[in-house]
Amino acid sequence: MSDFTRRQLGGLLGGASALALLGVAPGARAQAPGRAKDGVVVIGMSLEPPVLDPNLNAAAAVREITYQNIYESLTRIDRKGSIIPGLAESWTVSEDGTQFVFKLRAGVKYHDGEPCEAADVKFTLDRLSAPDATAPGKSLYTTIKEVEVVDPTTVRVTLKGPDAFFLYNVGIGDAAIMGRKSAATNGTKPIGTGPFMFKERKEGDSVVLVKAPTYRDPGAIKLNTLIFKFIKDSAAQLNALKAGDVDTFPGFQSPEQVNQIKADPRFAVVVGSTEGETILATNNAKKPMSELKVRQAIAHAINRDDLIAAENGFALPIGSHFPPHNPAYVDLTKTYPFDIAKAKKLLAEAGYPNGFEASLKLPPVGYAQRSGEIIVSQLGKIGIKLAITQLQWPQWLQEVFKDRNYDFTIVAHTEANDLDRYARDGYYWGYDSKAFKDNWAAVVKEVDPAKRTELLKKAQKIIADDAVNGFLYQLGKVGVWNKNLIGMWEDSPTPSIDMTGVHWKL
Amino acid sequence: MLDFLLRRLAAALLTLALASIVVFLVLEVLPGDPALVMLGTEARPDTLAALHAKLGLDRPLLERYVSWVGGLLSFDLGNSYAYGTPVSKLILDRVVVTLPLGALALSFSACVAIPLGVFAASRRGRMSDWLVMGFGQVGISIPNFWFGILLALFLAVTLKLFPAGGFPGWGTDPLGSLHALILPALSLSLPEIAILSRVTRSSMLDTLREDYVRTARAKGVAERDVLMRHALRNALIPIVTIAGLIAGFLLAGAIIVETVFYLPGVGKLVFDSISNRDLIVIKNVVILLTALVLLVNLLVDMVYVILDPRPKVSV
Repeated sequence: MSDFTRRQLGGLLGGASALALLGVAPGARAQAPGRAKDGVVVIGMSLEPPVLDPNLNAAAAVREITYQNIYESLTRIDRKGSIIPGLAESWTVSEDGTQFVFKLRAGVKYHDGEPCEAADVKFTLDRLSAPDATAPGKSLYTTIKEVEVVDPTTVRVTLKGPDAFFLYNVGIGDAAIMGRKSAATNGTKPIGTGPFMFKERKEGDSVVLVKAPTYRDPGAIKLNTLIFKFIKDSAAQLNALKAGDVDTFPGFQSPEQVNQIKADPRFAVVVGSTEGETILATNNAKKPMSELKVRQAIAHAINRDDLIAAENGFALPIGSHFPPHNPAYVDLTKTYPFDIAKAKKLLAEAGYPNGFEASLKLPPVGYAQRSGEIIVSQLGKIGIKLAITQLQWPQWLQEVFKDRNYDFTIVAHTEANDLDRYARDGYYWGYDSKAFKDNWAAVVKEVDPAKRTELLKKAQKIIADDAVNGFLYQLGKVGVWNKNLIGMWEDSPTPSIDMTGVHWKL
Repeated sequence: MLDFLLRRLAAALLTLALASIVVFLVLEVLPGDPALVMLGTEARPDTLAALHAKLGLDRPLLERYVSWVGGLLSFDLGNSYAYGTPVSKLILDRVVVTLPLGALALSFSACVAIPLGVFAASRRGRMSDWLVMGFGQVGISIPNFWFGILLALFLAVTLKLFPAGGFPGWGTDPLGSLHALILPALSLSLPEIAILSRVTRSSMLDTLREDYVRTARAKGVAERDVLMRHALRNALIPIVTIAGLIAGFLLAGAIIVETVFYLPGVGKLVFDSISNRDLIVIKNVVILLTALVLLVNLLVDMVYVILDPRPKVSV
C-alpha cells in the first residue's frame, strides 16, 4: 500500500517541480553589461507617478520622470539648483522687475514634429494661471498678469508686481512648456521637446522612454532607452538591485539597507542634498502649542543627533526652515540647544509643570516613522505625552493639512523656496507673525541678490526664535547606482531624474 | 439539480447587488479626497472646487451610485483619476497577471497538498504522518510575504534561477512571464498547501472509517484502489469546499505577494488605488473581485453535483 502511495506522491511532486522549473533558460535574463552596450538604463523608483502631466498633478514622481527628460521649461534648474537657460536661450528683465522678455531657441520641435513656439509658452502659462486653471502649482503663477506673443520666438510676460522667484518658478517641472496641440492628452501620452520621448507605460509596473529623433542636439544624448520601474517594497528594491534587474535607485528610501549595498562592489552610494526640511510641525493655533514658552521647551527637548543617527547619518541638522546648501543659509541650530532642565523650567513657567497630552499624526513615510518614535521618547522626558496615530497620505492631507485637526506631525517640506509658507494665512501650522509677513513681502520684491540674502537670513531667524515648528534635519538624498553609470545627479535641488547627460562607461 | 444551481445563481446575484451598495458606501466614508491627492499641498480652494466639478465628485450620492451601476452594466467603467486611462484597460492588464498567478498557486496547492494529505492519512500515527503534519503547522505559521522574500533572496539573488520580481508581459515573453510567476505562486501557495493537506488528511481519515471502505477491503479490493477510488472521491467534498475558499484567500494574498515581487497585478492595483484614493478604480476592482469569488463558489457548487450525483434533499 505505502509503496504505491509513495510512488503516486513522487509522481505528483515531480510533476509540480517540473512545472516550477519550466522556463529556467540560461541567459534569459538581461544583466547590466548587456544593457550598457545597448544604452539601456533601468531606473528604480519607490513611487509611481499618476498622469504624466506636471502642469496638472502635484506628485513629485511625475516631475522625476518627465521634467528635463520629456518636457522642458523656459528656464532650467541645473544639478546644483542654479537657474540656467532652458527653452529660452536668454531673457531681459525690466528695471522694476515686473516685465520679462524671453527669447526662445529657434528650431525646437515637439516629439510629434510640431514646432515649439511663443504661442505654446503663452498657452502653458495661461493653463497654469487662468482663473479656471486646475494646476496644483497655480499659486506660484498667479503673479502673472499677461503673457504676450511678440513673434514666434519672443514672449513678453508682465507680472502684477515684482517676484524674485519668478525665473525659478518658470524653470521647474510645474511649468513644463506643453504643445498647444498635444497638451490635452499629455497625461497618458506625453509629448514634449526634451531629449527622450514617451514609448509606453504599463501602469503599476513601468514607463519606457526612448531617445527622441526630434531633439535639437541628438549627439549629446548617449542613452537609447530609459525604463523607469516602480518598486515600492524596500526588501524588493534591494533584491532587484542585487539581482541586476535595476541599475539605479536615484532616491533610495531605506537608509537601513544602505550598508548592504555599499558592501556590493558593483554599486556606488552617493549622499547628496535635498530641499527637504524635516520638521516636527506644530499646530500654533491650538493651546498649549500657541504659547511661545511651550514651543521653546519642545525645541530644547529635541536632540537632533539621535534623530539623525536613526537616518543612518544621511541628514544634516537644521535650526530653521532653510537648506544648509543654500548660500543664504545661517546656522541657527544653537538657538535652543538640547537642555532638558531648561525645557522643564520653560514648560513650568508656561503653566504646565507636569507636561500635557497631545497627538502626533504621522504620514506613511520611513523618516516620519523613525523620527516619530524618537520624538515621543524625547518629549516624554519633559512630561509631554504624545499618542501616535498612523495616517495614509490622503488622510494626512485631509485631516492634518486641510482641516488642521492635529497637534503635531512630522513631515519633510521638499519644495524649494518654501519659507513663504510662514507668511501664509490659513496654512496648517497656524502661524501668524506680522514681523515675518512684512519681511517676506520685502524678500519677494527685492531684486538685488545681496539685499535679498540679508532679508532671507532675517526670515530664518524670526521663525527660529519663534520656535514655530521643531526644526529637525535636512533630508539627505541617498542615490544608488551602478558604478559604470556616469553623470547621475548627486543632489536633488528640484524633483527630476535628469538623464540628459548620463552615459555608460563601457 | 438545475433548480439547485439556479437558486445558487440567484443568491449570487443578490449578494453582488448588496456588495455594490456596501462598497460604494464604504468608499464614501473613507477619509481622504482624491482631488486633494492630485493637487497636493499647494492646492487652492478654487482649484480644488474646480477639480471636484471636473471629476463629478460634487454630484449627489444617489446620482453617483446610479451612474456607477449603470456604467458597470454597460461595461463603461470610466477613467482612473490617477492614471487618466480607462479603468477597464487597467483591470484587464492586471487580470492577466493575477489570474494565472492564482491558478498556478491553486494548482501547486492541490498538486502537493492532496497527495500529501492522502499519504499522511494512509500512514496515520507513523513518523511520516507526523512529519507531514508538522510541515503543515509550520506552513500555516509562516507569513507568505516573508517566505516570498526568502525565496527571492535564495533562488533569485543568490542562485539566479528566477527573476527577483517584475513581469515581462505575455506578449513580449510568454515563457519569461510564466517563469516570473513561479516564485510568487510558490510563496502564495505555501500556507494553502499547509491548510489543504491537513483538511485532506482528516477528511480521508473520516471516510476510511466508513462501512463501505471496510466492505471494500473485506472483498479484497487492492489498497490503492480503496484509497483512490473509494475513499478519496468521497473525501473530496470538504477538500473542494476549502479549495474554493482558498481561491478568495489567494486574491487577498496577491496584494502582498505582488508587492514583494513587484508584479503589476490586481492586488497591487487595489493597494495603489487605495493609497491614491483612486476611488473609481477601487470600487470597480472590488466589485469585480466579489463577482469572481462568487463565480468560484458557483463552480464549487457545480463540482459538488458532479462529485456527488445523489439528488439534493435540501439546499
